[in-house]
This record gives sequence, C-alpha cells and structure tokens, in this order.
Amino acid sequence: MKELAQVLEDWEAVIGLEIHTELTELETKMFCGCKLSHDDEPNAHVCPVCLGLPGALPVPNRRAIESIVKAGLATNCQIQRHSMFYRKHYFYPDMSKNFQTTQGPIAFCMHGHLDLEVTGRGAAERPAHAFGEAEARSLASASANAVGLSTQMSAGLPEGAPVSGTHHLGMAAYDTDALTLPERHEDGSYTAPIRILRIHMEEDAAKMTHVGGEEGRITSAAESLIDYNRCGTPLIELVTEPDLRTPEEARLFMEKLRRIFLTLGISDCSMEHGSMRCDGNVSLRRRGETRLGTKTELKNLNSFKSLHDGLAYEICRQAEVLEEGGIIYQETRHWEPSRKRTVVMRVKETADDYRLFPDPDLTPFDLSEEFIARCADELPELPDARRARFEAELGIKRADAEQIAGDPTLAAFFEGAAAGSTGKLAQTVANLVVNELTGYLRSAGLDLAASGITPEQVASLAKLLAADAISSNQAHEVFAAMAETGEDPERIVDERGMRQVSDTDALQAFVDQVLAAFPDQAQQYRDGNQKVIGFLVGQCMKVSKGTGNPRLFNELLRQALS
Amino acid sequence: MKDNLNLVGTRTTCASRMLETYQSPYTATCVQRLLDAGCLPLGKANMDEFAFGSSTENSAFHRTCNPWDTERVPGGSSGGSAAAVAAGMATVSLGSDTGGSIRQPAAFCGVVGMKPTYGVVSRYGVTAFGSSLDQVGPFARTVRDLALTMNGLTAGGHDPNDGTSHDADVDHLAHLEDGVSGGRVGIVPALMEAEGLTPEVKHSVEEAASRLERAGAEIVEVHLDHLDAAIAAYYVVGPAEAFSNLARFDGVRYGYQEPGCTSLAEQTARSRAHGFGTEAKRRQLLGAYLLSSGVYDRYYYAAQKARTMIARDYEEAFKQVDVILLPPSPRTAFKFGELSDPTQMYLSDMYTISLNIVGNPGISVPTGLGVDTGLPVGIQLQGPAFGDADLLRYARAVERAFAGESGEPALSVAPDFAGKGGELA
Repeated sequence: MKELAQVLEDWEAVIGLEIHTELTELETKMFCGCKLSHDDEPNAHVCPVCLGLPGALPVPNRRAIESIVKAGLATNCQIQRHSMFYRKHYFYPDMSKNFQTTQGPIAFCMHGHLDLEVTGRGAAERPAHAFGEAEARSLASASANAVGLSTQMSAGLPEGAPVSGTHHLGMAAYDTDALTLPERHEDGSYTAPIRILRIHMEEDAAKMTHVGGEEGRITSAAESLIDYNRCGTPLIELVTEPDLRTPEEARLFMEKLRRIFLTLGISDCSMEHGSMRCDGNVSLRRRGETRLGTKTELKNLNSFKSLHDGLAYEICRQAEVLEEGGIIYQETRHWEPSRKRTVVMRVKETADDYRLFPDPDLTPFDLSEEFIARCADELPELPDARRARFEAELGIKRADAEQIAGDPTLAAFFEGAAAGSTGKLAQTVANLVVNELTGYLRSAGLDLAASGITPEQVASLAKLLAADAISSNQAHEVFAAMAETGEDPERIVDERGMRQVSDTDALQAFVDQVLAAFPDQAQQYRDGNQKVIGFLVGQCMKVSKGTGNPRLFNELLRQALS
Repeated sequence: MKDNLNLVGTRTTCASRMLETYQSPYTATCVQRLLDAGCLPLGKANMDEFAFGSSTENSAFHRTCNPWDTERVPGGSSGGSAAAVAAGMATVSLGSDTGGSIRQPAAFCGVVGMKPTYGVVSRYGVTAFGSSLDQVGPFARTVRDLALTMNGLTAGGHDPNDGTSHDADVDHLAHLEDGVSGGRVGIVPALMEAEGLTPEVKHSVEEAASRLERAGAEIVEVHLDHLDAAIAAYYVVGPAEAFSNLARFDGVRYGYQEPGCTSLAEQTARSRAHGFGTEAKRRQLLGAYLLSSGVYDRYYYAAQKARTMIARDYEEAFKQVDVILLPPSPRTAFKFGELSDPTQMYLSDMYTISLNIVGNPGISVPTGLGVDTGLPVGIQLQGPAFGDADLLRYARAVERAFAGESGEPALSVAPDFAGKGGELA
C-alpha cells in the first residue's frame, strides 16, 4: 500500500466526523431522575422510565438542555428557538423502549464552525497544491451533497415544512460562498474553517456484554448481559460537514472540541471510558473532481491516535482499491489498532429505516431569548481566548499556552501559580506545569486534585528557577520531593543544600582553579575547539560540588578564555 | 380500573397474552390520586387488547357482556369499566379514551363517561396506545359522582412525571348545579344527517336539545367543516403511535418470552407473534408502514395538517357556543360478532374520534332506553379545551332534564343486576 503522503498527492480525502459526548457532569439521566454513574453495580440506577416499563413517560432534564446550548454557543452554532424530540426506532435490547429519543431535522444547535490551526508536520499532510480554487469548488459541492451524513434524518420533517430534498437537512440556509477557505502561510501552516452541521440531544443506550463466542459479538454469544445504568444518559451528537481533508485535521478537530467541552464543564470527555466517542466517514476522489466518492464509516476510533491512524489507513486502503480499478462499498468498518487495519463490520445495502417521528410525549421546545442569554452569560473563557490571553498578557509560548488553556483544571492551577508574574517567571511557571507537573501526574497516575500539589508550591519553585538558585535538573528533583512530601520547595532546597551559587565572584574562584588544572583543554578551546567548553563546565560543577550555576560557569569560562 | 392502569401488587395485563403475568412495580398517578382521595380499588376491568377496539371483543382472556343484554357487547375499549358501573359492581371506574373508548361504552351501558381535556389527567402509569390521543377518565352513574372523581383525579394539579400534563386542579362540583340558562348549545347539522345514525339515537339528541332549550339554553347551528378528515387522521396517528409505544414489548425485560429461540431476532419475532392478538398486530403493522420512509411524508404530515384544521374548526365553533351536542355513537350496543369487518367497527367511533384528535373534553350522558332496541341511549357533549367543569355543568343539566320524578337519573343499575346492593344510596 502507498504511504498517506503519496496517496494525498493524487487523491482528495473527504472526511466528516460524528462525535458523541456523554454529559457526564450532570447528576441525573436525560428523561428520569436516575443517578448518572460509571462504575456502580449493574442495573443499580434504573426506574420505570429508563427501563421502558409500560406507562412510563419521559421528562426532559433542563440542565442537559443548558449544556447543549452552551456547547452550541461555544462552537458558533445557531441556537434553534424551536425544536423537538423525535423517536428513532430499532429493535435491540440496549434501548429499553426499542426506540431512541433523539432530535429530528432541527437540532438545538445548527450550522456552527470551528477554525483549525494546522501547523508543523501535521500541516504537511495537506499537499501544497490542495489549496486555492479547486479546493473552493470541492468544498462547496461536498456541502451540497452532505455525504449522506444525515440520511437517518430524512424520514423526519418539521411540522409545517415543505417537503423538499435539502431544506429539512437545514442546508439551504447556509451560504457556502461565504466560507473562508484554508490559506497556506509561508511556514506551511494553515487555518481551516470546519463547519458543523448540527449538535443534537439524545439518550445513550444500555451497555451490553456478550459472554462466550468470539470477539464479544452477540451473534455467537452464549448469553448477553445488559446493564441499564447507562441507558438514558444525556448524550450530545455533533456532526461535522465533510470539510476535513486529512487525518491530522480530523485529530485536531477532535482535540479542539474536547478542550472546549472540558472547559464548558459538560463532560469528562474520556475517550478511554467512552464518554466521548467518534465515528469517521471518509471517501476519496481524484484531485479536481467535484463529485463525491462512496464513503465508508469507521468505528472504534477511541483515541486521538486511532482517529488519525484509522483514517490514514482507510484512505490508503481506498486508494489502493480504486487504483486497481475496484469499487468502494458503502459499509461500516472497524479499526483494529493492534493489527493496524480496518475490517468490514456490516455492509449497508439499503438505508436503515428508523421510522423517525416527533415524540408525542415530549412537547416541542421554545427556548426563550432569556434562557439562551443566560447560557451565554455562563460560558467560561474558551480555550482559544484563554490561550491568546496567556500569550499576550503573560508572554507564554504558544504551544505551552495552548496546552495549558485546553485543560480547565490545569489552566486554573496555572493561573494560581503564575498570579502576578509575567515574562520569564510566567514562562518558567508554564514550563514547570507543562513538563514537571503533567509528567509527574502521568507517571504517578494521579489527577491534579488527588496529587495535593498546590499552585503556591509551583510558584515558589518557579521563583527559585527564575532566580537561577537551582538548575533545571535540580528542579526536577525538587519537584518530585515536593510532590511526595508536600513541603515548600525553598525548604527542600535548603535542607538538601541544593541552592545554586549564582554569585559570579564565588564562581570565578572555581573557574580559575579548573583552568589552572586543565591547561591543555583551555588551549584547545583557544585554538577553536568550542566543544571542550562542556568538559570544562563539568569540571567546574565537580569542584563546586554541584552548587554552581552551570550557565554562569559557561559564561565565565568563555570570558576567561577569550 | 381498566387493566391498562398500573397498580403495585396487581397484574396489569392490558388484556394481552404479552403481559399475562406482568406485575407493575409502580402505581399510575391517576390511580394513586384516587387512592389518596380514599377510593378502594375493587379490581381490574377487561378491555380490548391494548385498547384496540370498540367492543371489548379483542380481549385475549375474557368476554365482557353488556349488563343490559348479555348477548351484546358493552362497547370498548373500556368495556369492562363501563359494564362494572352499569351492573352496580362499582360506584365509579376508570377507563381510557383514545378514540371514544370511554364515551362509546358509557353510551352502550347507560352510564356517564367522560374524556377530560388532554393533559388534565396525568398519563403517567397508563400503558400507552396513542400518546397524543390517550386520556384517562371516569365512569359513574351520576354526573355528580363523575365530578367528584374528577376532583380526585386532578387534585395536586400538574404531575411532574408527565410533561404533557397541565395544572387543572379546579373544583368540578362548584358550579355543577348552576343550570344552563342563557347558555348556548351547538348542533352540527351534518352530524345529525350522517349515514348510519339510527333514528332512536338521533331522537335522543333532538330530545336533549329541546329539553336544554326549555332549561334556558339557546340552540345554535355550528359547522365543523373538516370532520370528514378526523377518522382518516386518527387511523394514521393512532397506529403510528401504537407501533412506537408497543415496540418495547419484545420479551427481553418482561412480558411473554418465547422459549427455545436461538437468536435475538427469532426471540423478538416469535415472542411478539405469540404475544399480540390480531387487532394489535394489524394496528402495529399499519403504524410501521405509515412511519416508513417515503410513506411517512404523505400520510403522517397530512394527518398533522388535518389535526390543525379540525382544531381550528372547533375553536371557531366554541366562539359561538359553550358546548356542542351530538350523538356518542351512531347506534346502541350491537351483538357479539355482529361487526366482523374492522373498518365497520372503526366507523362506530365516528362521533368520538375527532375529540381525541384535538384534545378537547367530551362526556356521554344516558337519556333513557331506545324506542327501537330498548337498549340504553344517550347523548354526547363536547366542550372547549380545559372547559371540563363547565362541560359537567351542561351534563348535569341534561341528566336533570331526563331525571325521574324524584330526581333519580334516567337509568339505574341494569335490570338483571338490580337489587344486589349496587344501587346508589
């Protein structure tokens, strides 16, 4: 099979994502008062409503509606004043009523967008010639066809709406000409606007475990166990327009969305535990072609790496099939990360008929301007704005600012630790947070709250570093000691006699001593061998018993030898 | 209690094999409210399976006879509830009305039966047939008992467990005896000339009109131009919602489960094939067809449009009159097996269905025995949305207009059951 870069030279990949996010931060389920839980005993949190017992009726969770409206506002969606719930029918025991309560043609949030900034190696996935006019054409046509992302919605019609092909998908209202197209900067980076078709509200299904048989599939299982704890969990589904063109863009979109949802505090967004899940739709067409190819749907893209690698594999696989004169079938494929390949799950010969119709038990929603305004007021500072502020006000490097701003817990911690500081000190705090703190938490398997590390400790450590009282290597040691004992870094440094000497007069004595002891090496430096300076710094550190500041030794040695 | 109402500790079968042994772990709000008001639950009443029918002949288990003539049906689908009151077995009973299932059996059995405005009585715990059409209501032998029961059902107002329920906690007794002097009663000429309306039923409506006029009300002609579309709209919306609501009966969590199946699909198919009776299958198949893609646009959308138009007709009519007077059913109770063609059976609901389509309240009041059949005949009154208490006042006026010399209602306990302790004190 060809490499991705090679494939994307000749082929344009058209990618759309469907992203499900459980609103894990709510207390109760979507349509009943049962507690949301992940790890409790199976079927501990069930009631007549989520078990679909005869006579039970749904009552919508107001907080869930607030959450989705916030998600829509944060992704530049138009919040629909009038929308309703629909019933989507299929017979499977994970949905206790044999229908899922979801939304129809009009979702709470329609027509949003996120701008993706694609930089570095990731930006190179989109070939230089894939910008400009041809791209403009293909973007517009992709949107007009919508890649059938919402075929399941075609059964539903808004009350009073004319029966037409595109109107009920909400496409006609969107002006594709107004789109900003990705523009390539000199360094190869670019910003791609990715449109969001909709975000709708629905309920999650129960969790099924198939016992016996192969691969945990129901077909060969001896028995199937159902845990209805998850049944009825509030779920929001975001559907993008097919505007993504590379696996990297898909990964970045998912990352960006995750950072936004985390900041909104609506979900723990754990891909590992399945509270944030992503399916990818991908098709190929020759560069310059405006018609869409047949798409496949990818499942099991349960990490950022899987999302990227699964799409990359599938793009290469489709290219190989097409180049050999074969046909792509519209099918659902499963990404196997261990074998690095996708395999067919099922072939969609005909579109599923979900018999969508408005749920008569749930009266249509008319969201008031006040309700929407209140949600807007409650929006926290979003990652992009926060990143920009860290850059502009504190002078933090972009990559660090982005990483910290994308994690609300980390950002709050950072703001505490960096309070009152700017410039070098603020960047030092950022370095400690990005490298030492996250590194420590990862290796210790702790979350920030459980670690007991305080912003004050990190601020104190940063001050020691910024004042050259300790070296970076020492800082690493102090951090570990501080995390374990909970002591203040100042005290640790003093107790361990680590305080680094930055007094140049004191250091000069060691420099003189070393130069006297190693005249040959000193001469080599004077003769032009710059590398030998490292040896001399090492000797200075040795004679100073590690208390000297290596950067200052370096400076003093160069001065003495120049 | 109609056997589609959940009460902890009892079976709630909906007269279906599917739920033959099903025991609900919770109690319906309407039942709980009557228990809270001091009512004693006497038993579960037979019905058409899942309320699909107009004669109670579709019960999977029992035959319910009309107490006035045991060769005849009690009407349906709340036939058991109507018959229990007519036979004096219960003072009041509860039924559910999706297309006339309270008002028609009340007329067949000679008792008072009311479908309140949609949303007035909570549907929580009522096994759903057509969610946008279903409404629970009471049967009684006097309008006063009915109004009392309505007070119990609405006490506490809005039910937080039913998002479509309204706060309708009003005293239905307060103006019951106020009379109808100065009121306006509508007659729809087209309904009085409809094909299939028997002379004795027509006569009872005309007689009621003239007696209300004598009581001080004005009789006014009103028109409901789109009523023809009501039955068609009903047989789209009803089956569509029924298909959806009955999808949950798959034998996985509760209800009938076919043993020995080797796959989930087989178990679902065979459990449903065995569990549901003919009419339940017919309605669900019709609903599945009507909701399928390509078909849905043509029928469901048209039905919703018809609903809007019929609702507008009623709105206009109720600008001119307080209530509309019409027959509850084109004829008196028929014999078992007499209506074997389902479409003929469907037409027996021609006078009741439109009200479920729009959600307004309606009530059946007996006026006596038919001059031709000797069976109970009565009238139906329909009112504006949330005009339930006012509707009861008109019903009381009709009851009084047909009362005996000492003020007793036109009909008492059915003769075969008289003297067994069921008479009212």
